[in-house]
Formats: sequence, C-alpha cells, structure tokens
Amino acid sequence: MAATASLSTLSPPLYHPSPPPPANPPPSTSPASPTFAFPSYTTFPPFYTLQPNLTTRARQLDLWSALITSYCAHHRLFRLALSAPPADLFAHAPLGRALKPADVRAVLDHMAQPAHGPRVEWIAANKGEPSSTCWVYWKSLAEWADAVYAWVDATGQKGSVLTVYELREGDAVSGAAWRDMDEALLRKVLGVLVKRGKAQVFGVEESSGVKFF
Amino acid sequence: MASNRRGVGLSAFSNAAISSDQYARHGQQLRTSHADALANQLSVFQAALHNFSLTHAKDIRSNPTFRAEFARMCNAIGVDPLAGSNVKGAAASGGKAGSVWAKMLGSSVNDFYFELAVRVVEVCRETRSENGGMIAISEVQKRITKGRAKLVGGGMEVTEDDIMRAIESLEPLGGIFKSQTLGGGKFIKSVPKELNPDQSTVLEVIQVLGYVTVSMMQANLGWERARTIAVFDDLVADSLVWVDAQAEETEFWSPASMHEGGG
Repeated sequence: MAATASLSTLSPPLYHPSPPPPANPPPSTSPASPTFAFPSYTTFPPFYTLQPNLTTRARQLDLWSALITSYCAHHRLFRLALSAPPADLFAHAPLGRALKPADVRAVLDHMAQPAHGPRVEWIAANKGEPSSTCWVYWKSLAEWADAVYAWVDATGQKGSVLTVYELREGDAVSGAAWRDMDEALLRKVLGVLVKRGKAQVFGVEESSGVKFF
Repeated sequence: MASNRRGVGLSAFSNAAISSDQYARHGQQLRTSHADALANQLSVFQAALHNFSLTHAKDIRSNPTFRAEFARMCNAIGVDPLAGSNVKGAAASGGKAGSVWAKMLGSSVNDFYFELAVRVVEVCRETRSENGGMIAISEVQKRITKGRAKLVGGGMEVTEDDIMRAIESLEPLGGIFKSQTLGGGKFIKSVPKELNPDQSTVLEVIQVLGYVTVSMMQANLGWERARTIAVFDDLVADSLVWVDAQAEETEFWSPASMHEGGG
C-alpha cells in the first residue's frame, strides 16, 4: 500500500477565506473619517482562537492590542463594554469567527498590564462583581494631559476658569482630539494635571470648573 | 682528435655539468620573466576590478539587476563576490588570496551583503514568535524592502537571490540559518531544530492548501489519527502553526498567510 500520495491529488479545502478587505486611505481625524482599514491578520481565522502555544499567544495578544488601540483611536472610542462591544472589532462576520467573551477579557487583561502601556484600565464595577467596562488609552492619560494643557496654553487661557462642559464639548474644542470624551475620563485627565500642579478643579458636579496655571 | 661535442670520456662530464647548469640558469630566467609578466598582468587586473567596484559601488548597492550581473561576472571569473566575508574560507584558501579579492572588489559588495544578512537575522528574530522560526523568503523580502519600522528610507531593494546569498554568508554562525523548500515555496529556517519527515510533510500540505485537519491527512495521505495528532502537537509546540478551534474540525494554519494582502 502506498504510504504517500502526491500533493497534486490533495483535495482543496471546502472553506475559502474571504479576500482581505480592500486597502483604504489612512484614517484621518476629520469628522467624516473613511472606514477603518482592518489589518490583514483580521481575516486569518486562527486570530479568533486563543492560541495554546504561549509564545504564539503572546504574539497574538500583541496583535489584538494593536488592533484594538488603532480601532478605538479611529472611531474615537474611549470606553469598551464587554456586554456590548463594537460588532466588527472582536468578530469577523464573513469569516464566521469571533473571539469568545472569556478570551476578550484575556486580551483586555493583557492590555491592562503596566508593561503594555497600560492601554486599558478596568472601570470598577459593583462590589464583588468583576469589571465589565474599561477605558481604552489610545493616548495615555499623560498624553491626554499634555494635549489639554498645550491647548489651554496655546489659546492663552492659563489663569482663566473653564467649565468641564466647555472643555468637553464647547465650540472652542470642536477640533480637539478629546472633544466629547467621557466626562469621567476627562476628570481623570484633569486629575493628572492637578497632581502636576498645573490645574485646580473646584465646584460641584454640574458647575465644576477648572483653572490652569 | 676527440671533438668536444661528442661528450665521451672525462671531458664529457664537465660538458654535461656546464650545459645542465646553463639550462638551469636559462630555465630560471624564463620562470622569472614569466612570473614578472604574470604579476604585472595581475596587478593591472586587480586595479581594474577595484576601480570598477568603487565606481559602481552605488549601483551595486541600489540596483538589484546590476548586482545580479556583477555577481554573475564574478562567478564567471571564478571569484566569490563574498570572498573575505567568510573568514574560515579565506584562511583555508591561503589567507592572502581571500583578502586580495576582498580588497579588489572593494568593501561595497561585502558591506552590502553583510548589511543584508543583518536585516535578515533581524526579520527572523522579530517574527520568530509568530512563525516558530520558519519564514517564507518572499515575506522576508517584503519586510526588508519596506524597511525597519519608524525609520524613514531604511528599506533595501533586494531580490530573493540576494537574500539567499546573504544567508550563505551566515554559515560561520553555526549553520542555524538555512533555506528550506516546502511545497514549492522557499523558506528560511532560523532555529536549530530540524523538521522530521512527517513534520515537513504536514508543513508542505499547509503550504499548498493554507491549512490542514486530521481528516484531511487521513483522507489524502492515509495517515492514522494518532500519528497525525502527534505531528500536529509537535508543530503547535514549536509555534510553527496557529490553531483555529472554531471550525467544524480543528484546523492548523501556517502563519505565512497572516500578513498577506496589505496591512
């Protein structure tokens, strides 16, 4: 009995991976951004299975981290909720593959390690429950703080008082990268500036203001 | 009356001695003048080759077609364009010969292949966790042409032949970098582990079909289940394949297709 057969008699697979999405122009930060250009490894089916080999898995987690960071930066997503993630981030419908929820958590845990940024910070949930939402730091807190402070400086507003509302969604910040940022995150950013001695926050929730030095 | 020329008797001995002495001296003169002529021709040739490689150093570096022609010319003359880069070889062939060629060809050729070899090693190292140390030469070529991340203009325009030559020059490193053909594609192996025949066969199948399952090995090559699973486990353990557990039957994929199609 022949132990080998020629490779030319091998039957082709029943499944054909769909062609990678067409290359798109690089995403811009203007309001009408073109579609996010998914990297080619998002059409690689094993990408959605947590790899058993730890070396391979480490590489896979790094690739997921890069994807999530750039996706959130493109769509200006500051927060991810495990219960309702963006449909096309952790799953690829045409391929019929999706990262299992437990594996999504593993990826985000990886990104939450200080050694990897951290690119993600879990938001505390109710007592006793594990977190199911997280901030995504496509810019780090320090970078956000620098950006906000630089804008305040450049617009000559050091010394004047701004409301948190103005800082978030005022007309003056219509072109800023942090506009419409989740308020809780903006407060964390301001907290960094306070610690640096560059700002002071006062007043209560609705009418809180910030003064920059 | 005895003629001197007849060469018999006691006088014959001194004649023979004189003429053999004269022959010896004449032969010596011929050898000397031949050696001189040869040395002269050689030094003219050395100068010409050296000047050629200096003048065209830029072209050798930047133009793959020119480089291929230059390498072909060197091989036709019988000179290894990388002579002098393999120290062991140079010493074996009589150190002087090796370094003379290196001097003539100029550092440009050596530098080029040395730098290319460094890039190849870098690419293999960077991708090792993704592909277990087996990378397609086409992917190496693509990454080197693109250049190092974050460095502008760092790409080198190279052909697959250039890469093969650069790998050969890495031989003194202990033979870790080798080229291997799998299913019609050329790969560079950068880990010491050699694939056994079963592992090579599976990788070849994956090369041709993109992925493989236990049933496919059974159906197409008649392998028993236990044998197939053992080989798959080996390949996963060496990070040579990626696993897709969401298909009807677990699929084992080559990472070679992961970055194809842009991105």
